Amino acid sequence: MSAAAIHDDAAMAQASSGAVVLQATGVTMRFGGLTAVNNVNLTVSEGEIVGLIGPNGAGKTTFFNCLTGMYKPTEGQVTFQGTVLPPKPRAVVQAGMARTFQNIRLFANMTALENVMVGRYCRTSAMALTSILRGPKYRHEEEATRERAKQLLDFVGLSNTAEHLARNLPYGDQRRLEIARALATDPKLILLDEPTAGMNPKETEQAKELIFRIRDLGLAVVVIEHDMRFIFSLCDRVLCLVRGETLVEGSPVEVQRDPRVIEAYIGTPDEDEVDDEAAKEEHS
Amino acid sequence: MDLFLQQLLNGLTLGSLYALIAVGYTVVYGIVQLINFAHGEVFMIGAFGALATWTVLFKGQTGLWVLPFMVLGAVLVSVLVAVVMERVAYRPLRHAPRLAPLITAIGISVFLQEAVRLWYPGAKSALPFPQIDLVTGAAFQVGGITVRRSALFVIGSLVVCAVVLWFFINRTKMGRGMLAVSQDPDTARLMGINVDRIIMVAFAIGAALAGIAGVAQGLQNSNIDFYMGFLAGLKAFTAAVLGGIGNIYGAVVGGLVLGIVEAMAVQFIPGTFGGSPWKDVWAFALLIIVLVFRPQGIMGARVVDRA
Amino acid sequence: MSTQLRRSPDPKASVDSAAPSMQWWLVLAGTVLLIAGSFLSWSFTPAILGNVTITGLPAPLQIFTIVIGVLGLFLLLLRMGRFHHISTLLDSARGLRALGVTATAYLVLVVLVIALQAPGLANADPGVFVCLVGAGLMVAGSLRMPSDPTVDPISVHLPSWAEILVIVALMALVLFGAAYALGQEDGTVFSLFLLFLSGVVVALQRAGLFGWIGVIAARNRRVITLGAFVVAFLFPLTQDGSDANMSIATQVLIFATTALGLNIVVGLAGLLDLGYIAFLGAGAYVSAMMSHSAFANIGWKPPFLVVVLIAATVSSVLGLIIGSPTLRVSGDYLAIVTLAFGEIFRLTVNNLDGNNGPDLTNGPNGIPGVPELEFGSFKFGDTHEIFGITLGRFANYYFLLLVVAALIITIFTRLNNSRIGRGWIAIREDEKAAEAMGVNVFGLKLFAFAGGAFLAGMAGSIKAHQDVSVTPDQYIFLESAFLLAAIVLGGMGTVAGVLVGATVLKLLPEKLRFVADYRLLTFGLLLVLMMRFRPEGLVPSGRRALEFHEDDERLAAKVEESHIEKVTPTGGRT
Repeated sequence: MSAAAIHDDAAMAQASSGAVVLQATGVTMRFGGLTAVNNVNLTVSEGEIVGLIGPNGAGKTTFFNCLTGMYKPTEGQVTFQGTVLPPKPRAVVQAGMARTFQNIRLFANMTALENVMVGRYCRTSAMALTSILRGPKYRHEEEATRERAKQLLDFVGLSNTAEHLARNLPYGDQRRLEIARALATDPKLILLDEPTAGMNPKETEQAKELIFRIRDLGLAVVVIEHDMRFIFSLCDRVLCLVRGETLVEGSPVEVQRDPRVIEAYIGTPDEDEVDDEAAKEEHS
Repeated sequence: MDLFLQQLLNGLTLGSLYALIAVGYTVVYGIVQLINFAHGEVFMIGAFGALATWTVLFKGQTGLWVLPFMVLGAVLVSVLVAVVMERVAYRPLRHAPRLAPLITAIGISVFLQEAVRLWYPGAKSALPFPQIDLVTGAAFQVGGITVRRSALFVIGSLVVCAVVLWFFINRTKMGRGMLAVSQDPDTARLMGINVDRIIMVAFAIGAALAGIAGVAQGLQNSNIDFYMGFLAGLKAFTAAVLGGIGNIYGAVVGGLVLGIVEAMAVQFIPGTFGGSPWKDVWAFALLIIVLVFRPQGIMGARVVDRA
Repeated sequence: MSTQLRRSPDPKASVDSAAPSMQWWLVLAGTVLLIAGSFLSWSFTPAILGNVTITGLPAPLQIFTIVIGVLGLFLLLLRMGRFHHISTLLDSARGLRALGVTATAYLVLVVLVIALQAPGLANADPGVFVCLVGAGLMVAGSLRMPSDPTVDPISVHLPSWAEILVIVALMALVLFGAAYALGQEDGTVFSLFLLFLSGVVVALQRAGLFGWIGVIAARNRRVITLGAFVVAFLFPLTQDGSDANMSIATQVLIFATTALGLNIVVGLAGLLDLGYIAFLGAGAYVSAMMSHSAFANIGWKPPFLVVVLIAATVSSVLGLIIGSPTLRVSGDYLAIVTLAFGEIFRLTVNNLDGNNGPDLTNGPNGIPGVPELEFGSFKFGDTHEIFGITLGRFANYYFLLLVVAALIITIFTRLNNSRIGRGWIAIREDEKAAEAMGVNVFGLKLFAFAGGAFLAGMAGSIKAHQDVSVTPDQYIFLESAFLLAAIVLGGMGTVAGVLVGATVLKLLPEKLRFVADYRLLTFGLLLVLMMRFRPEGLVPSGRRALEFHEDDERLAAKVEESHIEKVTPTGGRT
C-alpha cells in the first residue's frame, strides 16, 4: 500500500469524526542548505488524537514549531478552522492552538497557579488603566481567572500544589502543569511535545488517561512521542516522519505493521545521515 | 577633493583608535558573551600607565627610544587591571543572570575613573601627555592635505596589532583554543582546554590593544584625562557592533567605518545639525540603527538574540 | 511535600532554661558592664562626640550603647525561656554575637575618635573602657554559645493588635531615627549613629527578626503602607522650618520617585534601561520651556496640571521610541541602545541653542529662573504655618512629591499584581514560552518603557520648578547609573527596596561631607560588591532573589512557604 493511499484512507476515516480543526499543507522548513521538514501535510479533526512519531532528528519538533508560529515555514501554510494562521505564536494561541515543550519551559519562579494564570492572558483583557483603578469589572475578571486556573489545576490533578513554585514540583507534575497552562488558553487543539518523556510507567498511564480526558472535552490533540506502546494505545491516527518527510500515515495498527517504520527505527544503512540531522536540528 | 581626502585621513585616524579599543570588546564578547562595559576605562588607564612610566623613569626625555617603554608601561598596566577585573568581578558572575555582569561593569567603570581621579597625582584635571620626537613633531603636507605624525603612529599601530593578532589566533595553540572556546565552552573544556585561562587571555589581549590605543590617544591629543574612557569606550563598542560583535576583523572594519562616518558628518552634513557638536549624536544614531536593523553587523557575527 | 516545610510550633524547651551556662553568665556580665559604663563619663573633653562627659546623664552616643545592652538583656531572657509566646522567634546566640561585635566596633571607634579629636588617649575616662570590657565579654561569651536550631518565625502568631503595635513602633522608630540622623551636623556622630544602627539591624536580622517582620508585614500590608505614608507625612513637622534637611528630603523623594518609575522597567519587566534619566530630563525641559522663565522658548503657558500631562506625554513618546527596538534586540544590546539614546538626549539639549539647530533649550546654560509653582493662591515658594510649625519652601514641594510618590507606588504595586504584572514575570522567566502562551511580549515591553517614562516625565516637570533651573549636566549617564544603583542596592521589583536604596544613595553623601570626594568611588565599589554578594538587594522580592540564585533550594522553599502563608494566613495547613 502506498503512502498516498494510506493518506486517503485516513482522510476518509476522519470525515466521520468531526469538523477539520487544523490543516497543514506542504509545510517545508529549511535552515540554510538543510531541509528539516519537507512537504509535510497534516489534517486534524475535532476530538481526534494524532500521534507524531519518528526517529531523533526526524523534524517532529521543527514541524511543531512551524505549526505554532515559532518558525516561519519556508513553504506551505497552516490553516486553523478555515483561516490561514500567520507565523506568530501569539496569533496562533489566540486562534486556539496551544502547545507544551519537549524540554519543559515553565515559568520556574512562579507558583503553579500563577503559571496557569499566565495561560489565561490571551483570554482576558485588563489593561493598564483598569489594573490600576481596579474597578468591579477588573476584580471580577481577576477572580474568574483565578477560578479557572484552579479548575484546570484540579483537572490535571495538581489542586494540592497550587501555591508551590513550579521549579519545586516533581518532574511529572511539571509536565502536567505545562498541560494545564496550555489548556488555560482555551485551545481547540493542543500540541504535546513528548508529554511522557522521563516518566515511569505509572505516570505514563496517568498521562494517557489525562490526554483521553482532554480529548473528551472536545479538543483535538497532537502528540509527539517516542514511547511506541503509549502512542499506539492512545492515538486514533499516527504520522511517522523520517528525515523531515512523511513516511507513513494511518491507523496505529497500519503504522505499527509497516516495515518501513520498523526499518527507520531499528536498522538503517544510512544511520549517520540521520544523526547528522539530529545534530543540526539541535543547533537551530 | 582635498577636503574629502583630509577628512578621510582624519576619519581613518580616529577609526584606527576606535578599532584598537573595539577589538577588546569583541574578543571578550566572542568568548564569554559579556559586554565588558568597563573596557573604555582600561584604555584610559593605559594612557595613564604610559604617562606614569614616562614621569617616573624618563621625565624630560623626548627621544623616540622612550616610546617603546611607554607602550610597554601602558600595556602592562592595562593588562593587569583587566585581568584583575576579570578574576575578581566577572568570573564569579559567569553563570549569573545577564543583568548582573552589566551592572558590575558599570560599577567597575565608575570605580576606575574615580580611582584615577583621586589617586593619580594631578588627575583631577587634564594632564599633558609627553611629546615624543618624530611622532608628535610638525605635520607633513602631502598635496593639499595635512598629515599629522601621530596619525601615522595610530594607523601604524592598528596595522601592526592586526597582523600580530592574526598570527596569534591562527598560528598558535592558544589562539586556536580561543576559537574553540568561542564555539562551545563546555566541549572545549572537555577537550582539555583551560577555559578560565583562555578567558583571561582574551581580556589581556583586549587590554593590551586598549593600552596601545591609550598611548596613541595621548600622542594624538597631547593631553589625557580620567573621563576619556567613557566616550571612547562607547564609540568603540559602537564600532564593535557595527563590524559584528564577536568578529575580530569586523571590529577593525567597524572602527574604520565609524571613524570615517564621524569625520564626514562633521564636514558634510549641511545646516545647523552638522559640525562637531553633533558628531557624537550621529555616531550614536548609527549605533542604534545598526543594532535595530542589522544586529549582526557589517561582517556578520554570532547570533545576537540573547536575553 | 509541602507539609514537611513547616514545623509544628510546639513550645520548645529553651536552650538555657534549665541551668544557665557559663557563656550565659559571661554575656550577662558583659551587658551589665556595658549599660553601667554608659552612665559614666567617657571623656574629659565636652567639645567632642556631643559631650559625653557627664556621669549619670547619658549623651545620645551613650544611649546607643545602653540600647545595645538592653537588647542583649532581652535576648538573654529569651534564652532563659521567658516570653514563651515568641520563643521560637529569635535565634538569641547569633543576635548576641552580632550585638557584641557591634558594641566592640562602636566603642573602639569612640576611643579612636577621642584619641584623635580630643586629642590624646589621656582624655578618655574610665567609663568608655568599662563599656569596652563589657562589649568584649559579650563577644567572648556569645562566641561559643550554641545556636538555636528551632527558630521558625513563620510559626509565631501574635494577636493582630500586637502585630500592628509592632509595626507602629517600628514606624515611629524609623521616623525618630531619620529625624535624629538628619539633625546631626557632626559627621563623626552621624557615622557612629550609622554604625550603631546598622549593627543593631544586622543583629536583629541575624537573630531572625526580619523574617518575622516580613511575615507580619505581608499579613498587614495595608497598615504598613498607611503607616509609612503617615511617617513620611509627619517628617517635615519634625524639622520645624529648617530648609537644610527638607531640601535633602525633597531630593531624596524626587530621586526615589524616578527610581520607582525605573523599577517598573528594570524590576518588573526585566529590561535594563541605562538612559532613564533622559525621561526625567525631558519632563523637566518641557516643564521649563513652558514656564514663565525668561529663557523659556515656547510661547504657550498653560496651567501647571496641563504642563505635567504634556511633559509626561512627551516623555512617554520618547519612551515608546526608545522601547521600539525591544522588538528586535534584547538583553545587553537593549541596554546599550538605551544608553545611546540617553547620550543623544544629553547632547541634543546641550546643542539646541540656536547656533546648532533651533534655539529650544538654551544650550549648555540650560533654562534658569523657572518660577515657583502656584496652585491657585497657594505659592510653593512661601513659608506656611500649620499648628504653629513652620513649613518652608521645600516642605511644600515635599508634600507635593509625596502625593506623586504615593501615586507611583500605587501604580507600581497594582500593576505588579495584575494580569500585566504576571505577563512581565513570564517574560522575565522565559520570553519564548511567554510568547507561545499568548502573552503580548512586545506590547508589554513597550508599555513598560512608555509607562516608566510617563512617570519620570511627571517627576521631572516638578523637579524643574523645585530646582528653579534646568541644565543638561543634570541628566548625564552617571545619573542613570545612580538610579539603577538605587534599585540594585534596594532590591529589584520591590517598592520598599527602592525607597531604601534611594534614601541611602542620596542621604549618605549629603551627610558624610568629609567623604564627599569618595562618593563615586564607593558607589562604584558598592555596585560591584552588591552584584557579587547580594545581587537581589537589601529588600529583595522573593522571586527576584530566586532568579539570581537559581540553585538555592532553601531559598526556594522559603519563598514557597511565604506563598502558602499568604493563602492560609492562620497556618491551618497540616
